[in-house]
Order: sequence, then C-alpha cells, then structure tokens
Amino acid sequence: MATGIKQQDRQDAIAGWGFMTPALILFAVFVFIPIFFAIYFSFTDWNGISPPAEAKLVGFDNFRALLFEDGIRRADFFKALKNTAYFSLGVVPTQTALALLLAVIVNQRRLRFKSFFRTAYYFPSITSSIAISMLFLFLYQKNGLINQVLQAITFGAWEPIAWMADPRGLFHIIFGWFGLTLETAPAWMQANVLSLSVWDWLSGPSVALMGIMILNTWTTIGTMMVIFLAALQDVPREVYEAAEIDGANARQIFFKITLPLVRPTLFFVVTLGLIGTFQVFDQVYVMSSGGPAKTTLTVAYLVYRNGFTNSQMGLAAAIALLLFVIIFTLTLVQRRITEGKKE
Amino acid sequence: MKSKLSMLLSALLLTAMVLSACATPGAQPAAQPAASGEQAAASAGAVNLQLMGWASSDAENVRLQEVVDGWNAANPDIQVSLNLVPDYDTKLQTSLAGGAPPDIFYVDSFRLPDLAAANALLPIGDKMTNVDDFYPSLREAFTVGGTFYCPPKDFSTLALEYNTDLFDAAGLAYPTADWTWDDLRAAAEKLTNKDTGVVGFSINPDFARWIAFLYQAGGEVTTPDFSAMTLNTPEALTAMEFYVGLVRDGFAAPASDLDSGWPGEAFGKGRAAMTMEGNWIVPFLKDQFPDLKYGITELPAGPAGKATMAFTVCYGVAANGKHTDAATKVVDYLTGPEGMKAWTDLGLAMPTRQSLREGWLAQYPNLEPFLNGADYAHKWQFRPGFGEVLDAINAGLQEAFTGAKTPQAVLSEAQSVGEQVLAR
Repeated sequence: MATGIKQQDRQDAIAGWGFMTPALILFAVFVFIPIFFAIYFSFTDWNGISPPAEAKLVGFDNFRALLFEDGIRRADFFKALKNTAYFSLGVVPTQTALALLLAVIVNQRRLRFKSFFRTAYYFPSITSSIAISMLFLFLYQKNGLINQVLQAITFGAWEPIAWMADPRGLFHIIFGWFGLTLETAPAWMQANVLSLSVWDWLSGPSVALMGIMILNTWTTIGTMMVIFLAALQDVPREVYEAAEIDGANARQIFFKITLPLVRPTLFFVVTLGLIGTFQVFDQVYVMSSGGPAKTTLTVAYLVYRNGFTNSQMGLAAAIALLLFVIIFTLTLVQRRITEGKKE
Repeated sequence: MKSKLSMLLSALLLTAMVLSACATPGAQPAAQPAASGEQAAASAGAVNLQLMGWASSDAENVRLQEVVDGWNAANPDIQVSLNLVPDYDTKLQTSLAGGAPPDIFYVDSFRLPDLAAANALLPIGDKMTNVDDFYPSLREAFTVGGTFYCPPKDFSTLALEYNTDLFDAAGLAYPTADWTWDDLRAAAEKLTNKDTGVVGFSINPDFARWIAFLYQAGGEVTTPDFSAMTLNTPEALTAMEFYVGLVRDGFAAPASDLDSGWPGEAFGKGRAAMTMEGNWIVPFLKDQFPDLKYGITELPAGPAGKATMAFTVCYGVAANGKHTDAATKVVDYLTGPEGMKAWTDLGLAMPTRQSLREGWLAQYPNLEPFLNGADYAHKWQFRPGFGEVLDAINAGLQEAFTGAKTPQAVLSEAQSVGEQVLAR
C-alpha cells in the first residue's frame, strides 16, 4: 500500500517535471543564465566588445566607483537615481489615483457607452510606445499643441517653452519665484552630497522629464484601470447595498467600502508602477537620450549608455544589479506600508 | 529529494542537448552560398563575406548595393552580401562579443578607439592601394597609436550654409571663405528679427559643432599624446564664450527654439539665416525644402585661423574573421580609385582619395566648400571611453545655453571629467 502511493508520487513527479521542462528551459536560457552572467560581469571590467572570456575580474571596483569614489561615475549614477526617484514619485501616485478614478467611473452600473469608455481609456496602453513618443515630441515643440492650448486657456499669458529641451528643474523654477537661485542659495545648498550638490538634489524633475512623466502616466493608466476594474467587479454588490441602507453617502462608500476591499490590488498596482517607473527606458531613448543636461538620464538608460555607447559593460551590469536591489527593497518597504494596517 | 535532484539534472541535460542541437543548424546558412546571387551557383567553392552597415538614404543604399554587385560579378570566388541594419551599434557590439562578427563593417571614427582597444579590428589601412592618396586628415582619423586601422569609406565636413533670400532682404553681402568670427556675429545680429521669429544662426548645444570653434580659437581638447586635458585654457574659454554668447545675446538659437528637430530643419524652414552643417544637409534640403535658395561657404576663421571637423566612417575588417584576406581585398576595392569613384559619383558622399577630387568637383562644383575642408579638418576621434567627455560637454552646453551655467563652469567640469577618463 505504502509503496503504491510512493510509486504514484514518483509518477506524478515525472509527469510534473515533464510538463514543466519546456518552461524551465525557456526560463533557464532567457532568465536564469542572463541573470547569472549579469551578476558575474558586474565584477569584471568587460568592455562589451571583446569576447566575454577575456574580461578581467576586478572585484568590487565597479561598485566602489558607483557608490564610494567621488567622480563622474558616481555623479552620473546618483543623478540618474535622483531623476528616476522624481519620476517615480510623480508618476506612481498620479497614475494609481487616476486609474482608480477611471475604474470607478467605468464600473458604474448606470453609465452609458460603458464599453466605449473602457476601450478609449485602455487604448494608449496597447499603442506602440515608440510611436506615441514620436507623436509627443511634436506636441511638446515650442509651437506645438500643448503650448498652444496652454496659451489659449491662459489668454496668452503662457510663454511657450521647448519642453524637451528645457533642463530647468521644477523646484528650481519655484525657488526662483522667491528669489532663490544658485547664486543666492545658502552655503549648505552648495555642499556636495554623493558627488551632487544639495542644490542639484533639490532640483525637482526638469521640464523635459515632466514631459516624459506626463506621457508615461497617460500610457500606463489604461492597464492599471483594467486591473482595478477586475478588483471592483469582485466586490459583492450586497456590501454596497448594506452600506446604502445604513445611510452611507458616496464618499463614505468609496473610502470605507471600496478602498479597503481593493487594497490588495492597490498594492499590486503600486508595485507594478514602481517597477515600471524605475525601469523607464524606451521613452527616454526616443524622446531625449538622457538630455537636456542629463536631466532625463534614468538608471535604465544609464545602463544602456554605459554598456553600448561607452563600452563599459561591467559597470553597466553593476548599475543594473544595484537597480535590482533598489527595486527589491522598495517593493518590500511598500508592502509593509500597504499591508501594515491589517489587524 | 534525490529524485528531484536527478530530475533537475536531466532537465538541465536536456537543455544542453537542445542548445547544442540548435548550434548546428544555425551554422549552416553561413556555410551555404547565398541563394539570391546568380553567380552563387557557378562558384561552389566561393568565399562568402558579410558587409554590415547602417542604412542611409535610399539612393545611397541602392548605389552601395550596385557597387557590391559590381564586385561580385567580377569576382566569383569572393561573394559579398550587404547587410544594412537598424540599431547598428548594438548589433555590431553583440556580434563582436559573441565571437561571430561580420567580415567587414562600418566604423565611425569616434568609435574607433573603443574597438581598437578591444582588439576587434585588423589593421589593414597600410595594405590599401596607394595609401598616400587618402587625405592625411582622414588617415589620421583612423589612426590609433600609430596604426592606420581602416581606410575611410567617405567623409563629411562642416561648412557654413546661408539663406540668400534673407541676406538679400537684410541688404548684406553673402558670406565668403574669408569671413572671421566678427563677420559671422555681425551678420547674425543684423539677420535676427524678433518680429518674424528669424535668428541669424542656428546651432545646437553640441560638442561636435562647438569643437570647430575650439580649434578656430587655437584650442585643443587634449594634448596630442592624450596625456592631459586642455579645456581649461584661455583659447577654449574664448571659443566657449563666443559660441554661447551668440545664443545668450539672441543672435543664434538651438533648433528646439525654432520648432525644429535639428538646425538643418530650422534653416530649411527659413527660421535661421545661417547654420553650420555637413554635406548631409544638401540632399535633405533638396528633398524637404526644394524651393529654398541658399549658398554654401567655408566656416569662418577664428583668432587662430581656419578649422573644421571631418566626420568619417571606414570599412573595418574583423580581427577574428574567418576570411580576413578576402575581406581586405574587398575593402581595397571599395575604397580604391574605381570603387570609390562608383560610390561617390552620386554626389552625396565625398571621395576620400585626393586623386578623385578634380573629377568630383567638376560634377559638383557647389559642394567645393565641403571638400576644401579636408585640407584643414580635425579628426573626430579621441580615446576609449571619451563618450563620457562628449556627454559632459553636451550637458554643459545645454545648461550654458539657458544661462544656468557659465562658460567657465562648463569647461572646468568637462576638464575634470576628461581627466578622469584619461586616468583610466
């Protein structure tokens, strides 16, 4: 009897492994082996051109240059990290809030043309990112549509700007309104922290980066909306009915019923957003190549530039590894925050 | 537990088998002659070479194919297939690292030091027919550490383009090859018109343009032996202040301020009366702005005289290629008097051989300012890893154009980045 079960288990195991083999092979070839090599190369000085076998092991040199040695490598890394952080801080809350709002709207039972709106909001997400980026380049031109609309609604008070060529930081512009510029900034703002001055750290996203942030928000809302929509439809209608009978108004229903019930989805959407924004690459590649003045240089783009235009694949792998550690940590932290209130 | 391990091992073994099975059929197409060429059948033992490059205009792509076809027809034993790919740099780099590079490939002079440092290139420059016939400035562009790596395929230089209608309207004499910086600035000032949105001169915050002014001012980026950076010099400051000053004073503007993607487009739209671009602007203007009336002359001279930049590409032969002798022969044909003439006859690319100068100029006299530049052009080639200095100067220029940084601050920063790169 016992051996029979064991035999059965064994056969199940064979069948299980058999079914998994194709997927495992794909994973091994396209995920595990590349990850292993990326980790290995981050400890070498590989230039990305000569055969990988010729790469010399250099220990922690790449990480030291990125984290501890004052110089252009550390300055670029933290500049990219700063830009990415501003990007993420701007995009993730906005896209999550707007996606939830849209999902609640198109989830209404009495809404007309429901499927039209659902399609319309989802459309940007399935359109080619490259094509949209090219289109937005025109919209952001000095005589482009966005400047024209802003001029029209401000009755000509808006001074047209070339969005994608403007390196001024948002906070720097706001500081400027109060007379605070690099020249008048207090001494502590001129101090260097991690190869960047405090003044630079406090720049805020540049106008060009904001252009990409707006585009990125617009293209990702649709996907997030669909995820929220699925969650909203899982909320039993009885709960809403009970709330209505108890005399809850729309706002109370949203904050006391809807939001707590979609909390797991909220965590999922914020995580997706965080990962997506920390890896933003294609729009930067098409629209700005990291410029103007490195203000749209993101960590993912820095990886590409070091690996493929500056022949420092080892350094690029090290940055990619650090990016992984950062995203991983952030996800854990954010999981704590989102799920922390659970009793 | 043990059975799981053995299963995992067999899965890995299976992976290895699948992979090794993949490798064999993958190698086959390369060994077989290309089925498309009609000569292929006639030459069973022919050597097949791959020539990889990036696509340019349709006319040039077709012409290059014709030149290659001409070689294939005359040489049944060496068959070349032309492969023009998008995203060229990434593709080349991965195929080099993968150990299976194309036999012949384009190499931009700026990229040469990186490739040479990685021993990716076979030095074939001196094996070419009549090497001294190549312009010295172009040979220099493909020489690293005294080795002339690869012969120039064609080249471009920067010249000054001017809109004759706008000059006529302002009542100004056209620019000449004798112009100086003062003439350029004075004309740019007079041609700038706030009401019509026209500026005198369109320049981008771009190291590849500013560097011409640096040389005109008598400055240098580094010492000739690359032992030290020389950007913190009075000459460099003069060049930076002049270049940035044109923009800050409103006589010049980057393309983005003129609703354009690049200065050539701003010039074509009539938003800038002058610009400084290479000969690539000529087919662009003909195609996009056929009614534009403009002239071309050499760049103005600075305090230290004339200077321009030569942007050039060579045919590199892979150091670890299988048929390097055959590849060298092909390159010798493509850059030789006959192949070079066939390739440059279109008037789009300029011949890199001095012996072809007169014949080409007889066909395209209006492009003479570009070709003249070859005599005093500087190479666009530095050291491995110099891309970081390029990025630093571009970033600095972008901030200087908005007034956020002073010219001196841009130079100090670039000097420091350059010192770090040279120290590696």
